[in-house]
Amino acid sequence: MNRKSKKMFALTMSALMTTSLALAGCSSDEAGADGKVELTFMFRGNPEELKAYQATVKRFEEANKDVKVTMVQTAPDQYDTKLKSAIAGRKIPDVFFYNPAQVKAYVNSGVLLDITEAVENSEDVKLDDIWEKGVDKYRFDGKTLGEGAIYGLPKDLGPFALGYNKTMFEEAGVPLPDKDKPYTWDEFVDVAKQLTKDTNGDGKMDQYGTGFNVNWALQPFVWSNGADWINEDGTKVTIDDPKFIEALQFFVDQQLKHGITPSIGETQTLDTYQRWLKGQLAFFPVGPWDMAAFKEQLKFEYDLLPWPAGSTGKASGWVGSLGIGVGSTTKHKEKAAELAMYLSADQEGQQALVDAQVQLPNSMEIAETWAADTSIQPENKQEFLDLINDYGRGFPAEKTYTAEWYDEFFKNIQPVLDGKTSVEDYVKTAQPKMQKLLDAAIEQEKQAN
Amino acid sequence: MKTKTISKLYRTEQRYAYLFVAAPVIGFFLFAFVPLMYSVYGAFTNWNGLGQMKFIGFENFVNLFKDEYFYKSMYNTLFMMIGIPIGIVLALLLALALNRGIFGTNTFRVIYYIPVISSIAAVSILWQWAYNGDYGLVNQFLALIGIDGPNWLQNTDTVKPALILMAIWKGLGYTMLLYLAALQSVPKSFYEAAKLDGANAWQSFLHITLPMVKPVTFFIIVTNIIGGAQIFTEINVMTPTGGPEYSSASAVFYIWQKSFGNFQLGYASAMALVLGLFIFIVTLLQFRMNEKSSFDLD
Repeated sequence: MNRKSKKMFALTMSALMTTSLALAGCSSDEAGADGKVELTFMFRGNPEELKAYQATVKRFEEANKDVKVTMVQTAPDQYDTKLKSAIAGRKIPDVFFYNPAQVKAYVNSGVLLDITEAVENSEDVKLDDIWEKGVDKYRFDGKTLGEGAIYGLPKDLGPFALGYNKTMFEEAGVPLPDKDKPYTWDEFVDVAKQLTKDTNGDGKMDQYGTGFNVNWALQPFVWSNGADWINEDGTKVTIDDPKFIEALQFFVDQQLKHGITPSIGETQTLDTYQRWLKGQLAFFPVGPWDMAAFKEQLKFEYDLLPWPAGSTGKASGWVGSLGIGVGSTTKHKEKAAELAMYLSADQEGQQALVDAQVQLPNSMEIAETWAADTSIQPENKQEFLDLINDYGRGFPAEKTYTAEWYDEFFKNIQPVLDGKTSVEDYVKTAQPKMQKLLDAAIEQEKQAN
Repeated sequence: MKTKTISKLYRTEQRYAYLFVAAPVIGFFLFAFVPLMYSVYGAFTNWNGLGQMKFIGFENFVNLFKDEYFYKSMYNTLFMMIGIPIGIVLALLLALALNRGIFGTNTFRVIYYIPVISSIAAVSILWQWAYNGDYGLVNQFLALIGIDGPNWLQNTDTVKPALILMAIWKGLGYTMLLYLAALQSVPKSFYEAAKLDGANAWQSFLHITLPMVKPVTFFIIVTNIIGGAQIFTEINVMTPTGGPEYSSASAVFYIWQKSFGNFQLGYASAMALVLGLFIFIVTLLQFRMNEKSSFDLD
């Protein structure tokens, strides 16, 4: 290296260092130059949801003149990647949506701020008025989920109920289902068979009992039969339980034995969803987020009923959720917690979301009035509330460190649905694989502590 | 630079030149090299992306070579590279056709180039619809000629061919354009000489055109293999769960799932390292082979 190039090297290095300093400078998030508290809020949703949340944030800014909220929004499918990159880079947003399955991991690694005090002392949030089950999903005392400190509030709860095509029942002269007494599995198949027919006489079926997607509709059958994917304390995969096998067999038989669903070549969700929209299915799952689309697109009346009950005689179903948490690194703990509470419990904001028919109200009071309002279809919205209050559950993977073991179950299930692999054989091969992944997740959790 | 006295102007210019060179060098250093080294280190830790990194030696690699999904995703990735030779042959044929100056050449060039400049995510969504078993364009078209098409993306036998077909369609325009440029730089006199010597069209294609475009072919093969090894977006969009029985999951898709779905950034880094080494070795081999078989015209 001659002298000149040495000099240039020094120059380059200093330029490099200046650049990295400048970059580092960007990350410090002190209160802005004009003395305002700056918060970042990272969230996701479909266009209607995004709009509703933007409006709620605007109102929050108006009520808190000293706060400026920077909104970072993404499409639902990219959200997790973005959030996790932000966390890995230690740029945790001040307020953000997150999945309840991640409570353990995030709390253990110090990503989430404990907001118990803020919530309990708040004047605006009446803790008694928010779904208890909803808040419990975000409680963790370091050992057991659902107990201890609050690490977030529900953005919403998503009970996945079963719907039926009322018009189809009436036209076929089949008695409407009882909204308080679930069908037994046999009754369900019976009714579905009556409604599976060839309506235009071309020799091909064009109306079916149902068409469930295994990823989202197997749970109610398994649970109502007294089985589950995992044992109570979350250490053992229990899919080889005879009760579980029975439930999976019943699920598979809907297509293979009873023929109450469209044929194998046509079972993709999108297709059964389209068929439901076209009025070709008698039963189909309905979530609160479907209501806006169904109101617009369904040319028939629909209503809700409890999921068919297995050997326990009781209906079951899942209740999903998305949480609003506060990042542990936030510079403005109080304001960030306030924003999170505002988003979860602000009456006006909740009303806007409910009016847009994209979610259930978080406030039990509003929810009850809403459920009783017969002008909004479906009539039996109480079923949603029953799922939340009474018989609904969270996903099996919510209580474990990662969901990999649970995903494994669905990865190779297609041959079972197609009848190429027997249910017994499948659970026998899948159980050890899932157990191995679960053990790894438990190990991972221990190491992270 | 040999003269001892360098003019002042030259010196200032040189200084500026270094500054210009510095921009990409710094960029590479900050945004590629540092993260790369970080991830290499991460491969030897149990990093979960949230907390501390603990050094665990080769444990990740030991587990990796026992992981059936790693092999499966690598196999899927290699399988989907079948599209590369098919794409190259098609692109060369198209380029040859368009090079003859047939009517509407410019229009065709545009048509074939549109997929290249379209966003891969948007294109993937379109193809996802096209492949829909009931309502998809592909099956509607097949129905016209009396074929009952499968549910492309939901079937283990058809999901990979479906993705390959889309990749070919997407890359065709770019490859074709490279070939067009290469074809146009072949001196006409070669063909004239060959004709005088009595060579037929096939002979002049085989002995003039092909050797003359060989550098471009080499470039395309190398870049396509590097790109093909990293296939991800279309798979993530079209088969978000990795396809039926994980049969469309590529290596990068699996890496992504492990790191961002299951908090195993250390393990995922190890996988990325293996994939990176694999690409490096394959590319190196290609360069070696190319050197052996290349020749100079002059």
